[in-house]
Amino acid sequence: MGQRRPAKRRRLSRTPSLLLSFSPFSRFLLFAHSSSVPKSGSPDPSPSSKSTVDGIADPKPPKAIKRMESSEDEEEKQEKIEMVQADFEFFDPKPGDFNGVKLLLQSYLDKKPWDLSGFVDLILEQTTVGTIVKSASQDGEEEGDDDGGDDDESLFAVISALNLGRYAGHGCIKELKRFLLEVCSDESTKTKLKLLLEQQASDVGLLVSQRFVNCPYQLVPPLYDALFDEVSWATEDELFCFLKPTQELRDSFRLKYYMLLTRILENKNVNQRKAKQSQDYEEPFIYIKAEDEIFRELSLLSFTFRLHAEQLISHELKNYREMGLVMVVKADDISKFREKLKSLLAKS
Amino acid sequence: MATRLQFENSCEVGVFSKLTNAYCLVAIGGSENFYSAYEAELADVIPVVKTSIGGTRIIGRLCAGNKNGLLLPHTTTDQELQHLRNSLPDRVVVQRIEEKLSALGNCIACNDHVALTHPDLDRETEQLIADVLGVEVFRQTIAGNILVGSYCAFSNRGGLVHPHTSIEDQDELSTLLQVPLVAGTVNRGSEVIAAGMTVNDWTAFCGSDTTATELSVVESVFKLREAQPSTIVDEMRKSLIDSYV
Repeated sequence: MGQRRPAKRRRLSRTPSLLLSFSPFSRFLLFAHSSSVPKSGSPDPSPSSKSTVDGIADPKPPKAIKRMESSEDEEEKQEKIEMVQADFEFFDPKPGDFNGVKLLLQSYLDKKPWDLSGFVDLILEQTTVGTIVKSASQDGEEEGDDDGGDDDESLFAVISALNLGRYAGHGCIKELKRFLLEVCSDESTKTKLKLLLEQQASDVGLLVSQRFVNCPYQLVPPLYDALFDEVSWATEDELFCFLKPTQELRDSFRLKYYMLLTRILENKNVNQRKAKQSQDYEEPFIYIKAEDEIFRELSLLSFTFRLHAEQLISHELKNYREMGLVMVVKADDISKFREKLKSLLAKS
Repeated sequence: MATRLQFENSCEVGVFSKLTNAYCLVAIGGSENFYSAYEAELADVIPVVKTSIGGTRIIGRLCAGNKNGLLLPHTTTDQELQHLRNSLPDRVVVQRIEEKLSALGNCIACNDHVALTHPDLDRETEQLIADVLGVEVFRQTIAGNILVGSYCAFSNRGGLVHPHTSIEDQDELSTLLQVPLVAGTVNRGSEVIAAGMTVNDWTAFCGSDTTATELSVVESVFKLREAQPSTIVDEMRKSLIDSYV
């Protein structure tokens, strides 16, 4: 245990850069974090230098001594940070996940009261397309009678694609469509959106992707890969149906468009970006989920809307306001998206 | 009669309201639907008071009370305290207490005669509970959980406890509380009973995700339908979780 400690400390300084280096938001976090990390190379020399200061009356200038002490303090603080091993498992949706998924989608339609329970039910019933991420239980021995993840409390992420035409009869989908049309302020975008939601609804899949904010980014590419793979497999073999003809269900996954409803942070001071030093330059948008930036680049149409719910913004981001973002992406562009997503992670 | 409702898309109605036999507290900021559901049931009988505690809306989990009194955490502001003192009937003693476990609703479960408390509550607080609420206080855990106020809800006529409560614990609690107890869930399998529902002697409010089975269990155990006690045994047996092995 004692021998492994120095290795842990070195890993600690490297790991943050592995996780946080792409979106402007994460870059910001990285700068905030690195300002408190002591310069590399200090762990090793300082124990020996400290002993020199202690034992011998060394004529070192006072400034140098102070610097060593402060790096010692930061080192002690660092020692308290522990590395946690976490394993995440991907499961098919099942009815037992109801409470966990509902919690993740609580603010999906801002503050509007709607049939969220019905919406969650739709996601959970569609077992062929959709993935739920849970943390694997710590004790391997207890997995005996687990039927794929016990607690839905440890549910971290959900992703699914719902065909808007297939589920058009459900109240929750009708309310969702009404909401999207209400929040769209631009008339030309609204007409295009209306076309997609009504006449072309059976070609549009609603891509629902939600996860806890602190989920490690390594989860994200496999999550999207799983979803798009499942969609293409479902077009080939939708075995799962007792009520409708199989061909109809297969066709319901031949999607031409994906629609996304997500959140971003927008800079409130859009007009005041003159005469600012490069350090103070603030990005106009911060993407809470980094892949949204890629989607937006590839999108056919997109628009933002203001939220009415209470905003919980941290102090560093006080110039930003949380906004809703709706995007429509062509299904043909998905392969480009997958490549860009992989390269985003590979960059670090 | 038990009613199903929602507070702004959340089914945790026990978090945003507190119901007793003498008054009802409701969080501000919710839609008028939420408030009017309470008014419809209770308006002529007991006052329904809109309030916040410490500027938050989670009033059901921060305060504990019964027909004799109401205990508030130290985070309650003076204006809120005054508002409550003015709005509640005079015989209800409203008291703000200095207790480090400030989520009193999670730490204390009580009816008009008995209270169950978190095992780590201060002795002074225990004394205050006994004085202000006029109850006998027992330090207990429920299915191994120390937050007794969250995992059980009981009135003067019955109680609902965490689904994993063993039969021995249920018997022991039933003896202490002198009411019949049932282990069950609300809001489609949620184990946090007191967050999902709120109850008094003649009515209950549950989250809208509560299934019909859960609702009928609630109505039976709290005797809201004037049902015969034998109904629980005869008709309801299959839907009650008696023991967890």
